Amino acid sequence: MTFVRLDRAEEEVADGSVAPPDPPKDRLRRRPLGGPRWVGWAFVLPGLIGLAVFIVIPQIASLILGFSDSTLLGGTQFTGAENYARLLRDPQFLNSVLVTAIFVLVYVPANIAISMAMAMWLKTRIAGRNWIRVIFLIPALSPMVANAAVFRLLFQQDGVINQALAAIGLGPIPWLSDGNWALAVVIGVSVWQSFGYNMIVLGAGLDSISPDVIAASKIDGAGRVRRLVSITLPLVSPALFFTTVLTVIGAWQTFAQAYVITGGGPGNSTMTIMLYLYQTAFTNNELGYASAIATVLFLIIAIFTLFQLWGQKKWVHYD
Amino acid sequence: MTDHQLPASGSRWRRRGRTVGFAANTTVAWLFALVFSFPLIWTFFTALKPGNEVFGAQISFIGSKVLWSNFVDAWTEVDFGRLLVNSLVVAAISTVLTLIVATLTAFAFARLRFPGRSAIFLLFVITLTLPSEVAVVPLFLGFDQAGLADTWFALIIPGLFGAFGAFLLRQFMLQIPGELEEAARLDGASTWRLLISVIVPLVRPALSVLAIFAFLGSWNSFLWPLIILNSSDKWTIPIGIAGFTTQTGTQWELLMAACVMTIAPVVVVVVFAQRQLVAAIGAGAFGGR
Repeated sequence: MTFVRLDRAEEEVADGSVAPPDPPKDRLRRRPLGGPRWVGWAFVLPGLIGLAVFIVIPQIASLILGFSDSTLLGGTQFTGAENYARLLRDPQFLNSVLVTAIFVLVYVPANIAISMAMAMWLKTRIAGRNWIRVIFLIPALSPMVANAAVFRLLFQQDGVINQALAAIGLGPIPWLSDGNWALAVVIGVSVWQSFGYNMIVLGAGLDSISPDVIAASKIDGAGRVRRLVSITLPLVSPALFFTTVLTVIGAWQTFAQAYVITGGGPGNSTMTIMLYLYQTAFTNNELGYASAIATVLFLIIAIFTLFQLWGQKKWVHYD
Repeated sequence: MTDHQLPASGSRWRRRGRTVGFAANTTVAWLFALVFSFPLIWTFFTALKPGNEVFGAQISFIGSKVLWSNFVDAWTEVDFGRLLVNSLVVAAISTVLTLIVATLTAFAFARLRFPGRSAIFLLFVITLTLPSEVAVVPLFLGFDQAGLADTWFALIIPGLFGAFGAFLLRQFMLQIPGELEEAARLDGASTWRLLISVIVPLVRPALSVLAIFAFLGSWNSFLWPLIILNSSDKWTIPIGIAGFTTQTGTQWELLMAACVMTIAPVVVVVVFAQRQLVAAIGAGAFGGR
């Protein structure tokens, strides 16, 4: 398992630099670009320019646009912190932060817990284990939009879920017409779709635990719970940390599920930040205001990520 | 959870107990997998029903007739044929370009020394944790100002430069022994020649895995195409499906037929490349989407 250490990139570089020896002196031909020392630049340049132009610069531009009243066809005036003052008074925005926070707080733990449990379960003896793994992985690699369309059908008022409930004398539940149920459906489809992916990452983490350690702990008389807490979790913690960080980053940016299943409704109960940003920018044509929303979302994600990077010292064990 | 027995437990009772445990464990796991895949199974059967039986009085998988023609109708109603061609073309172009960019970058990081390499590498690592979708507004604005909105060029380009592909290939390139490189150099190979004739053939497995990921990434992409594409003749499948889903009076049987045709290629790819995919995801080289 090679995880890019998100906080120790320099070490990564250091261990990367053992490989390439200095290219031997040019024997037969002149190298382009002023000789071998700079030849690497020629190779890294396309990716570097692309990364700068399409990933780094837009992020910076977004921060700047947040202080303007930019629209698609009108001019751009810089309006200072006006957008941010407006955000604080915007009940729709505050609601979207709340909705997304609830989403993150339920979805991430559920996703990680189920992924971990399934990864451990699939380590046990099961006939056709690999096929089960494939079944769980398929939704994670399928278009979210198609999965969302499927769930929209299942949870219709007269859909198959309510029919099944009726068959055992329950329901019908107003899945998509009641705010709380609708958010539950959006969270549910998200977990259903995505846990297969983290299950594989965590499974690889479990595979990297040496059987000798497990055997030794058994000889020492460690019970199952003890083994989970003292051996398995610490040893799998780098993978756990990696998946948690990326799952949180993704969860704050939830969009497609809400767009397709509920369109943000009923009554903004599933209006995620990203969906509100999208509507602000591309329905209401308020690009500056949408960029301010993007900046707040960026800060929220940054705070969560930094908090996790800081917290990892307490529970993540790199050997 | 079955017990990981130490390999010394030989009594007949214990063996029998383990067989029963194995059977029970297998049964429960497969039941769970079946429940898990119910939505997709239901999708398939819904796609074969007559439109007025999608919401029947009873739960039934099979309607009064099995209409394979729904799949044909989806091509006309949802215009699935054109969406499919668009998605395939966009995904193919994206995949090829992603592979080229990632190969060049990974090669520079893994096998070459050059001034500023560590700093550039650090930049790539940092971008891994940047929330990419947050920056869609300026990205759209930039393409719009350049007169490139509503083009496939604008649709494809921003997705080519994620750091994941470069990191995955770099891991594989780091494992190539230096002797091969030196031998090639002694034979007078240029750096370019070394990459094309020595390194690329050796990392072919990693390239094919990256190709699958790049293809699926493009196939599944939703937010950016939704923003940048206006004209429906350029739409990709997810945009078409979303539009068809959110309009009133959805023809569910046709929509589900379209969903089946959208998910089926993914199923085929995952089934055939499962070992490579599991290995690549497990390598931690790819984060969530």
